Amino acid sequence: MELAIDVRDLKKSFGDFEALKGASFKVDENEVFGLIGPNGAGKTTTLRILGTLISPTSGVAEVFGHEVVKEADAVRRILSYLPEDAGAYQYLSGEEYLRFMAGFYASKKETVEEMVQAGRDISGLGDRLKDRVNGYSKGMKRRLLLARALMIKPKLAILDEPTSGLDVIQAYHVRGMIKDYAEGMGVTVLVSSHNMLEVEYLCNRVALINEGKIISEGTPEELKTRYNAVNLEQVFMEATQLG
Amino acid sequence: MGSFTSIVYKEIKELIRDPKILFGVVLLPLLLYPLMGQGLQIGQESVQTAIKGAKFSVYSDDAGNIAGILVQYITTNNTVTNIQASGLEDALVKFKDSDTVAMVYVPNGYSQNITNGLRGHVKIYGNLKNLNIAEASGVDVAGSLVSIYNYYYSLAIINQLMEVTGELGSAAVVHDPLSISYASIIKGNVIEVAPSQITSLIMSQSIMLPIMVMMMVIFAIQMAATSIALEKEQKTLETLMTLPVGRFTILGGKLAGSVVIAIAGSISYMIGFGYYTSSAFSFAPQFTSVDLTGAGIGIQPMGYLLLGIVMFVTLISALALAISLAVFADSVRSAQSLTGVLIVPLIIPAMILMFSDIEMLPPAVQWIMLAIPYTHTMLATKAAFLGNYWIIIRSIGYISVFTVIVLWIAAKIFSTERIITARFSSFSFRKRKLAPPR
Ligand SMILES: Nc1ncnc2c1ncn2[C@@H]1O[C@H](COP(=O)(O)OP(=O)(O)OP(=O)(O)O)[C@@H](O)[C@H]1O
Ligand SMILES: [Mg+2]
Repeated sequence: MELAIDVRDLKKSFGDFEALKGASFKVDENEVFGLIGPNGAGKTTTLRILGTLISPTSGVAEVFGHEVVKEADAVRRILSYLPEDAGAYQYLSGEEYLRFMAGFYASKKETVEEMVQAGRDISGLGDRLKDRVNGYSKGMKRRLLLARALMIKPKLAILDEPTSGLDVIQAYHVRGMIKDYAEGMGVTVLVSSHNMLEVEYLCNRVALINEGKIISEGTPEELKTRYNAVNLEQVFMEATQLG
Repeated sequence: MGSFTSIVYKEIKELIRDPKILFGVVLLPLLLYPLMGQGLQIGQESVQTAIKGAKFSVYSDDAGNIAGILVQYITTNNTVTNIQASGLEDALVKFKDSDTVAMVYVPNGYSQNITNGLRGHVKIYGNLKNLNIAEASGVDVAGSLVSIYNYYYSLAIINQLMEVTGELGSAAVVHDPLSISYASIIKGNVIEVAPSQITSLIMSQSIMLPIMVMMMVIFAIQMAATSIALEKEQKTLETLMTLPVGRFTILGGKLAGSVVIAIAGSISYMIGFGYYTSSAFSFAPQFTSVDLTGAGIGIQPMGYLLLGIVMFVTLISALALAISLAVFADSVRSAQSLTGVLIVPLIIPAMILMFSDIEMLPPAVQWIMLAIPYTHTMLATKAAFLGNYWIIIRSIGYISVFTVIVLWIAAKIFSTERIITARFSSFSFRKRKLAPPR
């Protein structure tokens, strides 16, 4: 099986501040991998490096064998990145937004329309897709953005807190979308989340990150046994306190 | 559709759908120029009617016959209130409370002086209730009335003396042996109009033009800065930067989208300006009999074309500058306060050029002014009036070079991670750091 993500001793500084202090982890193809950790642990920083948005100060990050800095173009072609609390263009309609985004991955009109149709199905927004985005609720926007990220059938989807700020129903729907898609289409998914229930439900494997370092890695079951905990929440508390 | 065209297309769509942009860049110049023209016209006309209807008072402290003739002269054919009072102070109180703008005061001793071959003195008080031009002009009207009386009185005295001495000729010639008339040479053509009249017309233009250029550029800057900052604020830029498309394509596409709007802005600027010029000339009645365009003032088609190009490159440079600055802002509001700084180098040349000419400034100030690209835009507009096309071409050249440099810097910044991580108003950053540990 091919390695979807290979991160080795990744470091990143912002000025004097070291946000990542040598993080390493691997994600297999077709896996749903969760990155969990407290606020400011370095989750977004890690995902941004993998998403070719920022470059590491040192260390290596590879996506399907492509080095993210040197082969950024190759990585961008196979990856979909959903930023933390991202938005969509408020003066476009949901459908125009999907079509605009699909245009970057396909040149043939039919392929573009196929992607847009997939986006329609994933979002479940129906006729509301014809409305302008500035009339959407937070949950609707999130569903649109997730549909955008998944409709292109990327080899790797990086989702930074996909359900943050959503109510139980919207979050449930979004989680369902991710799980269906990952299983049905064979997409590798890397998510970060603060919701341990969600992580337990979605992820095959999990890495715990704290203060810029990976402190533990494994399946939810493995982690629970390792920390002698009943759920991931307890694992999280134990692990971050031991730090 | 290629990536570039789809970005341009999306950008235009967004800009057109933003009502602020449509109004500021396209509609405003179309409306503002004609409105300013109309405003000036209405202003001038209302001053004129106010002067015509100006009312005076007269108060004479001299009971003599000679003073009586002066008072009678002023009273005839004018709306005049003859103030009856016990003394000057009383008269001034009555004048103050009246609706007249000027009071002609003939002091005691006026008749006596003239009989003794001395000068008779007359004093005019102006009542400035609202401190406006119409009031001051009303006072001038009273003054000129006395001057006319003075002139004819003088002629009468000269006539008497000439009769006594038997001198030949007319009294008017003795009073003014010389007569003066003015003409102007503009671009080699002699036209029978006083230079001061032409310069006052050009002056009124040169106050309006810098204001207009300034407003256009400010709107363009706000437009571009908002477009980048909005992408950051709504976190759409991050998504855009992970798409399989080059950073230059993104920057180019954004710029090209703004350029299309800028072209629309330049065209509407030219249309509004053309309309304004025609209405500005129409309220200067002394010019209606003179063909100014034939004499070389007024803008020829070539001038319009070059002016359009100047406006266009100006807008592009402003867009590029705004984009480079907006990179450092993470919200629309912080982008607008950052680009607000750019308004300073715009206002200074505009203010200076409104009240003087670049050639009149000290050389050091001239150089500083010329280093600011927007000075050239303002100079070009004046040059278009006088047909100095080389100055316009120089402006186009300078602004273009400036634009290329700024674009290069913008592209450099855009291709680094700074566009994602730069946090000038690092509000979210501080908030996160201060969050208490759980
Ligand atoms: N552009 C930046 N400039 C300076 N510091 C930064 C920057 N981006 C992140 N940091 C710092 O790096 C650290 C890690 O940030 P990061 O956003 O990766 O955290 P996170 O794990 O995603 O947290 P959260 O759960 O709150 O989203 C934080 O202390 C943050 O303040
Ligand atoms: Mg984060």
